[in-house]
Amino acid sequence: MESRSLTLTLGPSADRRRPLALTPGEDLVGFISSHVGRAVLFLITATSVLAVLLILLFVILRSVPFLRDFGVGEFLTSRLWRPTADEPVFGALTLIVGSLYVSIAALLFAVPVGILAAVFLSDILSWKIRNVAKPVVEILAAIPSVAYGFFAVLVLAPWMQRRFGFSTGTNALNASIILAVMALPTIISVAEDAISALGRELREASYSLGATRLETMVKVVIPAAHSGIIAAVVLGMMRAIGETMVVWMASGNATQIPHPWWDLSQSIRTMTATIAGEMGEAPEGMPHRSALFAVGVVLLLMTFMLNIVSEYFLSRAKKAAGKS
Amino acid sequence: MNLGVRRTLDRLFTGLTGASIVLLMLVLMAVLGPMIYRGSGAVLFDGTVEFRRMQRDLFNRADRDALSAEIAETDEARQVVYEMIDRFKKGIDIAAMSSQAREINREYGGELRYRDATAEEYTESREVARTIRDKLEEAFGSQDIELIRKNIAEVLAHKDEPRFKGTVAERFFPLATDFLDAAEHIDLSHYHDYLVALDEVEVLLFGSAERPGLLGPRPNQVARPLAMTSYGATRWDQAQALLDRLVWAEKWVEKEPGRPLVKERSPRAAMFHGTALEPLFTYVPEHIDEMLRPRFTVYWQFFIDDNFDSHYFGGVGPEIIGTLLITVVGMLFVVPLGVISAAYLVECASEGPVMRILRMSINTLAGVPSIVFGLFGLAFFVLFLFPKLGFEPKACILAASLTLAVLTLPVMIRASEEAIRTVPRSYKEGSLALGASRFRTFVTVTFPAALPGILTGVILSLSRIAGETAPILFTGAVAMGPVPKSIFDPTRTLSYGSYDMAVGDRLAMMVPHNQYGMVLTLIVLILILNAVAIVLRSRVFKKLKGH
Repeated sequence: MESRSLTLTLGPSADRRRPLALTPGEDLVGFISSHVGRAVLFLITATSVLAVLLILLFVILRSVPFLRDFGVGEFLTSRLWRPTADEPVFGALTLIVGSLYVSIAALLFAVPVGILAAVFLSDILSWKIRNVAKPVVEILAAIPSVAYGFFAVLVLAPWMQRRFGFSTGTNALNASIILAVMALPTIISVAEDAISALGRELREASYSLGATRLETMVKVVIPAAHSGIIAAVVLGMMRAIGETMVVWMASGNATQIPHPWWDLSQSIRTMTATIAGEMGEAPEGMPHRSALFAVGVVLLLMTFMLNIVSEYFLSRAKKAAGKS
Repeated sequence: MNLGVRRTLDRLFTGLTGASIVLLMLVLMAVLGPMIYRGSGAVLFDGTVEFRRMQRDLFNRADRDALSAEIAETDEARQVVYEMIDRFKKGIDIAAMSSQAREINREYGGELRYRDATAEEYTESREVARTIRDKLEEAFGSQDIELIRKNIAEVLAHKDEPRFKGTVAERFFPLATDFLDAAEHIDLSHYHDYLVALDEVEVLLFGSAERPGLLGPRPNQVARPLAMTSYGATRWDQAQALLDRLVWAEKWVEKEPGRPLVKERSPRAAMFHGTALEPLFTYVPEHIDEMLRPRFTVYWQFFIDDNFDSHYFGGVGPEIIGTLLITVVGMLFVVPLGVISAAYLVECASEGPVMRILRMSINTLAGVPSIVFGLFGLAFFVLFLFPKLGFEPKACILAASLTLAVLTLPVMIRASEEAIRTVPRSYKEGSLALGASRFRTFVTVTFPAALPGILTGVILSLSRIAGETAPILFTGAVAMGPVPKSIFDPTRTLSYGSYDMAVGDRLAMMVPHNQYGMVLTLIVLILILNAVAIVLRSRVFKKLKGH
């Protein structure tokens, strides 16, 4: 066998005679190119900022003609939404209440389950079983909203109508149950992060004082992780308010504020469903279309607010985890 | 507190937390179960001969000779049904019989004129024929069986008269016997009920212009305009349901005033008790196999076929193509943008106000409701940008893809950022120590090491784009339409199709397998993408931990 040569072969670009120090020219080129490169990268990264600004700009611009003619006050306080009447009335109050109504109802279902599940995942399950349980949450998050809506209309609605004798199966209860399922993955993962980020010290201190798991969780861990849990709830709320397909398909789309307020078996209508359902019938240039954009602005502002709140609590949670 | 109480409470708490996860699993099963169960029925089912006929006619896909032989055999079994119906009809359809009697009389009169007969004979024959006609019509219109018997007997008395031999008038007599035969067996006071009931049976068996029947249109019937009504039950489950409705008549009855109506089932055969049609209700269930020939079918072409009559027949091919097109075009925009943004955030940016604004924008973007993206896509891409660039301002794949690209940008950035961050510092430091520039280090060291993680982000964004519906409602999705020729055409997608079929017309409700098949296709596509992402991620973690 032929012995292989062991000489190191260098690429053609490697010039062995090159001095280690750069010439001033090379230095300048390097300096400029690194700064220009940085600027280009920055501009590309700024697309996100641009996108947010454009979204705000275009949605608001489109709603301005309507808001100028009809007035913000009437838009926000009138209960009547009659876009196709001879004298159209665009009162978004019912829609805003509807959105909040289903979202809050959804949270009532989702928050207890979500926190319990987060505790279970972070503190009770062994690492191995946890790797089996987590994909369940991930799959729940991955199922597209239209599939949930499909389930709500074709499976849940007929079942509820049969089982509970509701006049219609597409109602606030149906929508909020499905929204709860959709908000759960968000709530669970954020809450679990917050709970498990606390570290062992708090728990061990509590256990060593003789507290049971329940006491440790309820009196020590959850209070300590409250910022993260609040952030989880707010993010879940964001998910529920912004969700379109499910509420459009499952809420029944009746323009009314539920009366009595606790009766979930009534149909309601949300902002997102109104935009989705009526945009196709609102011709360009008509007040109806601008009104829908105005509804979009309200929706956007609501989510911005929730976003700021969640960021605040998330940063607090981060600090709390850093301290412990 | 008592130790026992504390222990019990603690156990209860542990049980509750476990129950919450079990609840999640149950929810997952409740959501996926019906979709998998009914959706798989779109591909795997017992197809009847009608299904194979439909495949031959609409999709040009069959073993023609074997199918022709099969159709001939089934037709033989069906012949009995046709005959039973015809026989029953002969005695029951008064209007048809009356007009037949009148026609025979008219024709006979015409025939007589060309015969060598004396004027007397002519008048007499005409007179007799006219009496026969009147007697028949009287019998047809009567509900008195005695009168019918008398009239028919009088008519039949003329049967052997030589003047009618070999003429049209001979047809009077079978008409009379058929009618008497039927009249002896049915309750004459319910003539009208029989007609209505017969019509129902015929619709169930042969279909109507609106709904398909069990066996499909009769061989020499006028062709129907809709494909869905031109065939019988193409699937065995459909056939079973129709058969059930054929054998059992359903009626909604008010049991108590004010209460919801109650469904009552009674055997349809009872309606035709004692008539020539009664055996039909035992013959059809017994011979349904021979008439339809169910056979297990794997209809994998569901994933490539276009549909007919709003998804009554066919598959979701164009929807899959549309979804893939939107997804791929969207990825072309979002992947480079996302990776470069992530690289900048990790490698170049230093903490400060600029960074805070960037981060806040990305978080805000992630929180914008999907329907608002739809509004934005419509207002910015379709109505503002397209006219500026000289494109036609209409909803199309490009607009939908761009909208979805903006929507998934945060997902892409966050995943890539995490991937780039998890690359060990030592890799980078080694490269920098060798004198490579930062750009070169990123391209040749960091990026390849982060690639699997970035790929995970790509796949997650893919699945997000494929599943979104609200943003493409006004920017590029349609429920019906041709397969797109370019990215400037709107397209059908799985997501919008699922929506449309769930809340769409009555037609979609008649084909739950296709309804669920569409949404199952979407879910399977997305779950596969997610599974790949999960596996990829866990392998990356293992690999990076190993170093």
